[in-house]
Amino acid sequence: MSNIDRRSLVKGSLAAMMAGAAFSRAAFAQSSEPILLGVSGPLTGPNAQYGTQWKQGFDLALDEIQAAGGINGRKLAYQFEDSQSDPRQSVAIAQKFVSDPRIVMELGDFSSPASMAASPIYQRGGLVQFGFTNSHPDFTKGGDFMWSTSVSQADEQPLLASYAVRRLGLKKLAVLHLNTDWGRTSRDYFVKAAKEYGAEVAVTEGYIAEERDFRSTLVRVRDANPDGLILISYYSDGALIARQARQVGLKQTICAASSVYSPKFLELGGEAVEDVHLGTRYFPQDPRPEVKKFIAGFKAKYGGQEPDAFNAYSYDAMNMAAAVVKIGGTDRRAIRDAFAKVKDVSSVIFGAATFDVESRRVKGAMNAELVVRKGQFALWDGKPT
Amino acid sequence: MAEQLDPMLSLRGLTRRFGGLTAVDVIDLDLAKGELISIIGPNGAGKTTLFNLVTGLDRPDAGAVSFEGQDITGLSPERLAAEGIARTFQLGRVFGNLSVMDNVLIGAHTRLRAVKPAVPVIGPLLEMGLALLRPASVRAEEERLREEVKAILARFGERLLPRIDQPAYSLSYANRRRVEIARALALKPRLLLLDEPTAGMNPTETAEMQGLVAELKVEGLTILLIEHKLEMVMRLSDRVIVMDEGRKIAEGPGEAVRNDPKVIEAYLGHGLTTEQESAA
Amino acid sequence: MSSWLDYTINGLIVGNVYALVAVGLALIFGVSRLINFAQGSIYLVGAYIGWVAVVQLHTPLPLTILVVAVAAALVGLIIERFGLRPLQNSVRIAPLLATIGISFVLDQLVMLTFSPNPRALPSQLPDVRFQVGNGTIGPLDLLIAGVGITSALLLFVFLRYSKLGWAVRATAQDRDAAMQMGVDVNRVNQAVFGIAAALGGVSGMLVGMYYNQIDTAMSLQATLKGVVAEVVGGAGNVPGAVIGSLLLGLVESYGVAVFGTSYRNLFAFLLLVVVLVLRPNGLFASARQAPPEPLTGTFIAPSRPVRIPRWALLVAAGGFAILPLFPVSFYVLQTLINAWLLGMLALSLTLVAGTIGQVSLGHAALLAIGAYTSALLSLTLSVPVGLAIIGGGLMSAALGTLLISPSFRLRGHYVSIATLAIGEIVSLVILNWESVTRGPIGISGIPPLSLFGYDLISPTSIYWFSLAVMVVLALLQARLLGSHLGRSFRAIRDDDIAARAYGLSLNRYKSLAFIFGGFAAGVSGGIAAHLYSYINHETFNTQQSILALTVVILGGLGNVVGAIVGSVALVGLPEVFRLAAEYRILIYGIVLLLLVRFRPQGLLGTI
Repeated sequence: MSNIDRRSLVKGSLAAMMAGAAFSRAAFAQSSEPILLGVSGPLTGPNAQYGTQWKQGFDLALDEIQAAGGINGRKLAYQFEDSQSDPRQSVAIAQKFVSDPRIVMELGDFSSPASMAASPIYQRGGLVQFGFTNSHPDFTKGGDFMWSTSVSQADEQPLLASYAVRRLGLKKLAVLHLNTDWGRTSRDYFVKAAKEYGAEVAVTEGYIAEERDFRSTLVRVRDANPDGLILISYYSDGALIARQARQVGLKQTICAASSVYSPKFLELGGEAVEDVHLGTRYFPQDPRPEVKKFIAGFKAKYGGQEPDAFNAYSYDAMNMAAAVVKIGGTDRRAIRDAFAKVKDVSSVIFGAATFDVESRRVKGAMNAELVVRKGQFALWDGKPT
Repeated sequence: MAEQLDPMLSLRGLTRRFGGLTAVDVIDLDLAKGELISIIGPNGAGKTTLFNLVTGLDRPDAGAVSFEGQDITGLSPERLAAEGIARTFQLGRVFGNLSVMDNVLIGAHTRLRAVKPAVPVIGPLLEMGLALLRPASVRAEEERLREEVKAILARFGERLLPRIDQPAYSLSYANRRRVEIARALALKPRLLLLDEPTAGMNPTETAEMQGLVAELKVEGLTILLIEHKLEMVMRLSDRVIVMDEGRKIAEGPGEAVRNDPKVIEAYLGHGLTTEQESAA
Repeated sequence: MSSWLDYTINGLIVGNVYALVAVGLALIFGVSRLINFAQGSIYLVGAYIGWVAVVQLHTPLPLTILVVAVAAALVGLIIERFGLRPLQNSVRIAPLLATIGISFVLDQLVMLTFSPNPRALPSQLPDVRFQVGNGTIGPLDLLIAGVGITSALLLFVFLRYSKLGWAVRATAQDRDAAMQMGVDVNRVNQAVFGIAAALGGVSGMLVGMYYNQIDTAMSLQATLKGVVAEVVGGAGNVPGAVIGSLLLGLVESYGVAVFGTSYRNLFAFLLLVVVLVLRPNGLFASARQAPPEPLTGTFIAPSRPVRIPRWALLVAAGGFAILPLFPVSFYVLQTLINAWLLGMLALSLTLVAGTIGQVSLGHAALLAIGAYTSALLSLTLSVPVGLAIIGGGLMSAALGTLLISPSFRLRGHYVSIATLAIGEIVSLVILNWESVTRGPIGISGIPPLSLFGYDLISPTSIYWFSLAVMVVLALLQARLLGSHLGRSFRAIRDDDIAARAYGLSLNRYKSLAFIFGGFAAGVSGGIAAHLYSYINHETFNTQQSILALTVVILGGLGNVVGAIVGSVALVGLPEVFRLAAEYRILIYGIVLLLLVRFRPQGLLGTI
């Protein structure tokens, strides 16, 4: 760390450029200063919507943490740097955070190229990179400073496959997936699990994130003659596919990954998403206290708006960060070690989250089988649709 | 009328159509070595199109061009430049952002040897390598060409030499025409095509240009000239060809052509009296 | 097979949607010979104005259309008056860049006003469906088709038979002559931008209703597909734009039918390249159309480059070389590493776009080729990283030149469009060629930079390495420009016809420029791959290409020092503006506009 200390003492003409990074140890020691987390994520560019959702979840969690007395009397705060989810910017942000002694750990980035490009810098710099949406199977292999609460697709997809095949009784499936590292990994786990459960996967179609027209894709799907459609999609593209499927006359059961879980899915999909099944980690009427608290708090803070999956991920991530800092203090290595020590942190996604020290991920995501009924997400009652 | 049996350039039945318009209509022409032929005719007569067909910038719909006994019909302009055919352009096409020196050096491009080894396939890569490494032979060649360029520019008196490092876009109109001619001379052409070299020049400048073309003729250069200024045409030309609406309507020594009723009719019919006045 | 009927109908339906944007683009191109990259942003603005009208004001559909048309037309008029008219007498590349800047500004303003979250834009038409083939079409399909075809017809009639239309056509054919004939060219431009913007706004709203979804990312996609459709139909040809759009829709639909969904855009861009190569003026351009570019070199600004004395360059290089010896934060070093990597890309682009005049909008493809080659060489064949990076440079030089060679016969804006398409094609091939590139999963675990067995992992050593590589490439390029190749490249840029007449083969010299430039870009990509340790098809995207072009313009076309100065400025400025997080792209767009307006030849001038 001596390197960082020496370099953080900035003098000379470049001071303006490094204003954010320049902080002396004396200032840091004052305990009235909040404990600072760095966040690297998109606030502009094509993924900007996810960055704004993160902020909502973070802010809600911080309100609760501050109200409960902060971290040993000190406030917790975050510094959000816009990366546009661009690897060139996320690496610069990584160096910025690593060289800023106030930053005790980092959260993000959003996309795999941006996150994993920054990983070597965090690993070498000895700062935890807590990638709470990074499902790429190789993310935590970047080093022992990489931790993730993103639900591993190896865990999630068998749950979805079980819902579709075992519970809904679908036997011949068409899988539509976002052609990104996440969608592709998810598809592979899903197909594997679905086959194990005895279903046939008749066709898989990968589409790019900017795609809006799925009619021709759906003709391919129709020609494969499936009895169910599986959507490995985000809410906006998921809603588009559901609408167009209904428009071209496909009436099969639709079963979607948890990432469509958002009030926006209902708003954008309208009547077309009625009866869509989805596996999620929590649901509005969930009796779990942490979920009730999250939803009530979110609605109160954001004018009655329903939280979605990305709000929940960031809310959980901030709570996890608080729990880790409580144990690890403000020393970066101690924080890394604290990830292995935290037990049963209250979590919307996991119920109680404990890291698996080997994979540096959390296993055992909660599972709720939902269906859209009358324009609302509801727990599936077991009745076929 | 061409006494020599082997003309340097010969056109046979050359024809070019654009849609319904026939810009060049079955033109025959023989140009002997050392001869200077002028092509005159009203605007739109097809003179520049004829130049484009000879220099490969356009392809004929019918007919043939041969140069020193070889059929060159439809060859690319870069091949023809290598054969020793140089031209200037009607509207003046200097390379605006290049200095006068560089403009004229481009004229010598086909004569580069040391830096452009004639090796197939990897020739271009060798050219780039040599351009970067610049062995002594390449440096010497470049130096020699630069001296040559200065010598060529000296033929224009003090018009261009003081401006040798200025970009061409900053030159006066007349100086750009001079740069074009200098560039053509740097190719060491065997055949030179001049497209209205004095357009836009005042009488003094025109007289200078006329003197230069006369010098070139004396030096034995074979020249095809498009020109509106009839006095210059009459003084310089061995023969004059008159074109109208793509066709050759008259051919012969200047005085004979000048008094040809068809020629007078073509000019008057097009109402281009202004040019006759300016030329008179 | 009945499915083919469905694919055909689907192709026509989506083609319909493309036509709405393409018609506006064609109209503007017809008059101004300008590809309006802001057309997608007007479409976006129209969609959000429609949302305000429908969801907040509850206007009925005819009124909604009117409101959107008028508001979008106003935006168009403002763009014309303040964004483009001041550039009238500027170089031809200036308005193109200005529209890119305007699109940044508009997109960001919409994002800041409405947040980036997607919104539902409910259709105001009754939800009835008509059975066609095995699918159905709804009233919105018919309305969109109606608007597309009617507007194309109306425009056609307007251009043919009205007085203003006559003026528009006269201006399109010969601006100066039209002005001498007493045509008020400004009024014509206003009319055209107003109409095109109204059409763009209404189409954004209709498409938003069609998908019941609007978001700020729809702008770039609309522009891309609209440009493809327009150029396929024949740039500037309004009915051609409609037919080009339908053809594009069909090709995409059949592409999906035969090869699957992930190949869809590949076919769109292949169609574009094939059309450009076979019929550069588009499928439906009349044979006697005037050449799309003026014949002399006014594409590039004439300028006197700023001569920087050698000692100043040495001092600057020395200063940057010893910078890490001072207590400078790693963040500054990392930012400068980014600048050096971008600098290599900019050197490459300033050679092909500036020196030889091939304005490439797909330059990130060369980065990607270099990065994948170097990553795969070191990972699968265990080639030492230093050699792998050189391999990446060579592959980028060879493959890049080969891929771009079809565009060598094109001129002006068409080169930009072709290279944009080629860039997209490379990215889509990387996405789909899974056996080699690992598709969307990408390549992870790429070994770190190393040289002669020593790992370069500290920011200081990476800084020195990338600075050294960039300086070597810059010196080589400066030496190249000082040779006969430098003047040959520039001659081809200034006037390719005169250059050919003096024996310069365009294919030969454009290839050499791309080989040299491809190497620099490939090396940059290779270094980036080892720096990031993970790359996928999204790492080197279109934004990167546009950024590089901005750098090149900023520094001065063809200007080696300018490319580096521009890189430092454009990597550094957004970092300085970090304090203004959400606003920094907006600021960036405004800076670009001011630059184009007040210093089109770049900071250091065109060479």
